[in-house]
Formats: sequence, structure tokens, C-alpha cells
Amino acid sequence: MSKRLSMLMSVLLVIALVLSACGGSKNNGSSGNGGNTAGTDGGSSGGNADGSGQKVQIRLSTWAGADEAKELQAILDDLNAKSDVYEIVQDSNPAEYDTRIITQLSGDSGPDLFWVSAQRAAQFAAGGVMLDITDRLANSSHPAANTDDYYEASFGPFTHDGRIYGLPWLQQPVMLYVNKALFDEAGLSYPDESWTWDDFIAAAKKLTKDANGKRADEEGFDPNNTVQWGFTLNGWPPVQMFIWQNGGEVITEDGKSPIDSPEAMEALNFYADLVQGPLVPSQTIIRDRGFDQMFRNGQVAMFMGGAADDLDRTVENVQAFMVPAGPDGTHVTFADILGMGINAKTKNPDAAFQAFLDLTDAIHHWKIMPPRKSLADYETLKELHPDKAHSLEAIIASMQYGRPYRYSEKYPDWDNIFWTQLMDPIVNAGARPSDLVPKVKPLLEDALK
Amino acid sequence: MGHHLATFIRWLLVPVALAGIAVLLYWLFRWIGWKKKQAMGLALVSPWIVGFLVFTLYPLGNSLYLSFTKSSIFGKTEWVGLDNYIRLFTLDIEFWPSVRITLLYALFSLPIGVIGALLVAMLLNNQIKGIGTFRTIYFLPAVLPEVAVALLWRWMFNSESGILTWLLSPILHLFGMDKPNWFGDPRFILPAFIIMSVWGIFGTNTVVFLAGLQGVPRSLYEAAEIDGANGFRKFLHITVPQISPVILLQIVMGMIGALQIFTIAMFVRPSTAAGKFMNQLVYERGFNQMHMGEASAIAWVLFLIILALTLLVFRSSPAWVYYETDMKR
Repeated sequence: MSKRLSMLMSVLLVIALVLSACGGSKNNGSSGNGGNTAGTDGGSSGGNADGSGQKVQIRLSTWAGADEAKELQAILDDLNAKSDVYEIVQDSNPAEYDTRIITQLSGDSGPDLFWVSAQRAAQFAAGGVMLDITDRLANSSHPAANTDDYYEASFGPFTHDGRIYGLPWLQQPVMLYVNKALFDEAGLSYPDESWTWDDFIAAAKKLTKDANGKRADEEGFDPNNTVQWGFTLNGWPPVQMFIWQNGGEVITEDGKSPIDSPEAMEALNFYADLVQGPLVPSQTIIRDRGFDQMFRNGQVAMFMGGAADDLDRTVENVQAFMVPAGPDGTHVTFADILGMGINAKTKNPDAAFQAFLDLTDAIHHWKIMPPRKSLADYETLKELHPDKAHSLEAIIASMQYGRPYRYSEKYPDWDNIFWTQLMDPIVNAGARPSDLVPKVKPLLEDALK
Repeated sequence: MGHHLATFIRWLLVPVALAGIAVLLYWLFRWIGWKKKQAMGLALVSPWIVGFLVFTLYPLGNSLYLSFTKSSIFGKTEWVGLDNYIRLFTLDIEFWPSVRITLLYALFSLPIGVIGALLVAMLLNNQIKGIGTFRTIYFLPAVLPEVAVALLWRWMFNSESGILTWLLSPILHLFGMDKPNWFGDPRFILPAFIIMSVWGIFGTNTVVFLAGLQGVPRSLYEAAEIDGANGFRKFLHITVPQISPVILLQIVMGMIGALQIFTIAMFVRPSTAAGKFMNQLVYERGFNQMHMGEASAIAWVLFLIILALTLLVFRSSPAWVYYETDMKR
């Protein structure tokens, strides 16, 4: 009996030890949990342990890859050195970022701050996992907290029911990248603000050439033997941009999807004609030779890409211009928006908010293009990004026309149908909008319900 | 350093806790009067049982529960009964195409995989010089990571410089067809994936068949030779029945693997016009559209399909699988 008893005691002791250890780790909260992920990011945690006794550790999750994370770490080191409140520790990993962050946020292991795409921001804000910062912003005098300074479009994804749940740190309008050497060779003048679809198509025709040197607007042009194309499309740039330029809408505020309006249909046909016509390479060729690679090689003369693309920095004779306006001169460009949010479950909302503002402001001075009007200044930006200087004027001019999708909790469902049922068949299978739209429209509107 | 130590200690505590549970269980079993051997055995497998309960059975049960709810990962989970299933079967525009392409893929890739692996194994079963080297070479595909293989296939399918297009375009030309846009054109996606499944012939499958072939007693072949049987008859009447348990195993495993195709499909990212494979649909519903309930329901339908087909194969097996202990009917 005594043997059994001693055994029981020893087992109970072990269990007690385990339980107290678990409880202990919960008590030191953020700093203890921080160890899990901070330890996994290569080399960035060096030198933050000593002397941080009073500072609150703020964990930041990003999708930054190796080089980007290194640049970010330099920014963080700088901010950490200046602050006596917080110590930001980054956990950067581009692999499966969204899946990881969703899993963490749905549990209790989420970071304090995290980068978030516009689409996710809308979902997260609606799901209540991002901290409501409306009042904190209003009470702050920090330059990054001034909501009036931001381009209005960039706030859309972070606003839910009139409350603000995060701040954008990048608004990237789609630009028209142009190979100037090919323009010169065709005797064309470069695009300017007055360009509409017609000018664009006329230029694309002149820039499409077959093996005999015949251009697409000349007699005897052989579309089966093209060696240079005026433009390229593979579902990107999004058709939404063209629909907006033509005065149409894909999602209205009251949850309708009027893609059968004359404006939208005209734009869809414009897109389908381009993608299925001779001015754009076939999807097979694009897949095989690489979408932007063809532009880099000079096989494609005009390319639409985000303002942050490196095409104008890394390829000779390339400059970014504004995308053409719609037939009646309406300027709109699709704007990709990225931002940052605070975990609603953070244990240190005050320190996290301070770190959040400082970091947002620092990223505004790092990435192109900051979504703030006060920074949309040629001289300021030229200093920050000398290698993009020749494109900056057009990028700045595009900012006010930037427009994101109308993101919402339901947007991913809508988007899934829009691409799989409408755009994929148009781009990949040669389908015509007029055959698909009547069928797809009710599905889209169902998805928004 | 501080938090690394904390992590390390927690890592140490897990095995200590598991060992503690094992000891406790042993003691409990002894207490209720079990034999020493019995108590020891169960106590020693208890870490695995705990792992199974926590990491397999609980998630399994939870996903079944989720499939009857409306759940968006964040916040509320709402019980909706059979709604998810009813919606899948009646309203969901992606579900049936997905079932269709997944089943078709399994239907075509399974025989190719099983028959191909058997033929390769028979080649490798020959006693020729350097057979060890050949066996090693044929096993190599199993060592390559799946993502690297997907990259390789993308290159092979390249319609300008790809080796497959080069091989196939004369044939396609006869039918007046252009170079195929393998992963873009919905008509070519299923064929492309079936061609890629050829990869599955080599590697583990071949080795399993090879082991089966080497287990066939030589005396049977010798007896058949004396009776004047030719190679084909020997194959049909000795080899196939003798290795039929291996064939059964390969069919079941191959079928499960084919129906669960995921990695390559996600990496190649084909046009979705032909439908997404079921596992792809599960992932995208769950993590892109955040409908965990619907995603779980699709996963359970996939599970039931696999279960039904596996049972079907097992039910049919008495008719064509022979075990050494069986008497021929």
C-alpha cells in the first residue's frame, strides 16, 4: 500500500509541476508568448533582450520576404531605439501568410500588429478581430493619425459601419508602363493625360508587328506570325477598371451587380476583344514566355502594372504613365491597398497603438506609393525613390483616381464567381460576355445577399 | 535568450507530462488488478493514444460538427443542420464540376498508375546485370519533393519549348488542332493532370509491387513451365493471383491518393473553368472565402465518397484477391 501511495504522490507531483508551468507561462502573457514566434525569425531578434526590462514587446507579423524583412528590420531597429514604450519584434514569412494569420487570430496566439491586404482587412474588420481605432485616431496628434490627410479611397477596406479598424500604408495605382524605344521606333508620341481608349488602341495597333515588319493597322498583317505585341492581358489588369472608366459598376452600394448595363457590357467587350484579338499575345504564349517577362524582353510594348513595380527601375527605356481614360475622358485606375491592423485581443493596446502609428508613418516613407496627400509631392518622393523619379509625376497624378474594389465580408464569394464563371472563360476559353453575363449576374447578386 | 529558454523548458515538459501520464495509467491498471504485461503495454502506447485523441479524433469530430454550422472562423458559429449539404447538392455552382473532375481524374489515373507500376516492377524483377542500379534510379522520383516535380511538369508542358508539346504536336496536327494551352484551356486540364499522374507509377508503388513479385514462389513457375505454359499464361494464372493482395492494396491507396489530389493542383494553378479538385475547393472555401462550415461539409462529402469507393473495392475483393490461406472456390 505504501508503495502505491508513493507512486501516486510522485505522479501528482509531476502533474502539479506541469500545470504550474502552464499557468506560469500564461501569467507573463505577451512577453512569454512572444518567445514562440520571435525565435523563428532569422537573426532579427538579436540585441532586443537586454535593457528592455520596462519596454512592452509588440509582435508584428508581415508577409515580407527575406530582403524586404531586412529593410523592415532596419526601420524597426530605428523605431525601437527611439521609443521607451515598445519594442517591436517582427515575424516575417511570406509562405501561406493569410492562412497563418487567420489561424492565429481565430485562436489566442495572434500577433499584436499585422500587415493585411485590403480584401482581408474588410473581412477582419467585419469579423471583429481588428481593434476599433476610430477614437484613438481622433485623439492622436500623430502625423499618421490625421485621417484627412489620406486619400479617401484607401480607407474603404478598413472601414466597417463607419468605424475605422486599421490604416493603409500603401496605395498602389495601376500604371501604364511603356517601352519608349518601341514607341520611338513606331514614330508614336508617349501617352499623356488626354489619352482615351481610342488613342490606346491606335497605339497598340502601331506597336503590334509581324515577322515581316507589317504593323497591325497595315494591309497584309499576319496575326499568326506576330513577333511584337502592343499590349498584354491575362485577367490582369482587372476588367473592373475598364468598366469604371466607362461609367459602369460591378458592385453597387446596395448590393447589386449591374454588369449587364450598356456601360459595363461595352467595357467587357472591349476587354474580350483585346484578350482574344491580335493586339495581345495568346494566353498560351503568355503562360509560356512569362507575363511581365515579355514586356521586359521588348516583345510587348505596353504593360499595366502597379506603381510599385520595378519595371521602370530595372528595364531600360521604360517609364510609367497614367492608364488611358474611358471614351468620354473619365479617369479611374484600380488601386491595390495594403495596410496594418491591431489585434483586437492585444494585451497592450496603448503601446501597440503607438507602435502602430510610428511604424505606419515609417512605412509611408519607405514604400511607394504612400496613401497620404501630404507625401504626394514630387520633390519629397524623388529623394526617397530616385530610381523611379521619371515615373513619379504620373504616379502622383494617378493617386486621386485610384479606386479599390468594393470589399466586404461577402466580397470573396462574389469575386470567386466573377473570376471562375465570367472572366476565366473569357480569358482562357474565348467565351463572349454577351453569352455569360445574363447567366452570371444573378449568381453574383446571390453571392452578395 | 530569455524566451528561448522558456520555449525550451516547455518543450521538455511535454515528454515529461506524457511520461507522467503513462506511469499514472500503468499504476491505475495495476490498481484495478490487470496483469503486469497488459498494464505495461497499454501504458506505453498511451502517448500515441493521447496524440490520436488530441490531434486526430478531436479535429475529425470538430469538422463534422462544423459541417452542420455556419462558421466564418471568427466569432459566432451557428447551427444550421443540413443546410450546408443541401446547398452543396442543389445551389452550389462549383460543387458538381468539382466532384466530376475529381472522380474523372481518379478514374483515369488509377489504372494508369497501378498497371504502369506493375509493368515497371516486372521489368525490375529481371535478374540482369546492374539491376540494383536500375531499381535505385526508378525509385528516385519518390525522393523528389512534390513542388519541384510540379515545376518540372510546367516546363514539360510549355507549349513552345516543352518536351511534351514537341512530342504531341505532330499527332495533334493530324487532327487539325493547335498547340494546346495545357493549364489554361478547360479541355486540356484533365488530360494534363492525367499525364502528370504517370509520375506516380515510379517510386513507392513500383517497390511495393516488386516486393510482391519477389514473394511469388519460383516452384510455381517451374511447375507451369513443365506443363507447357507460356509467359503470358504464367503472368495471368500465377503472377496476378499471387500478388492480388498487393494489387488490392495499390488500388485502395492509389484511389485515396488520386481523390485527394491537392499539392500539384495548387502549385500549377490551372484555369478554374474546368472545375477545382475537391481538396482545392475545401481549401479555398475555408481559407479564402472563410466559410469553414461549407468547407467542412465538402471535406466530409469527399470522405464519404472515398469510404464508399473503398468499401466497394473491398466488397469485390473476395472475387479476385487470393490469400495463401484461402481455398480456391
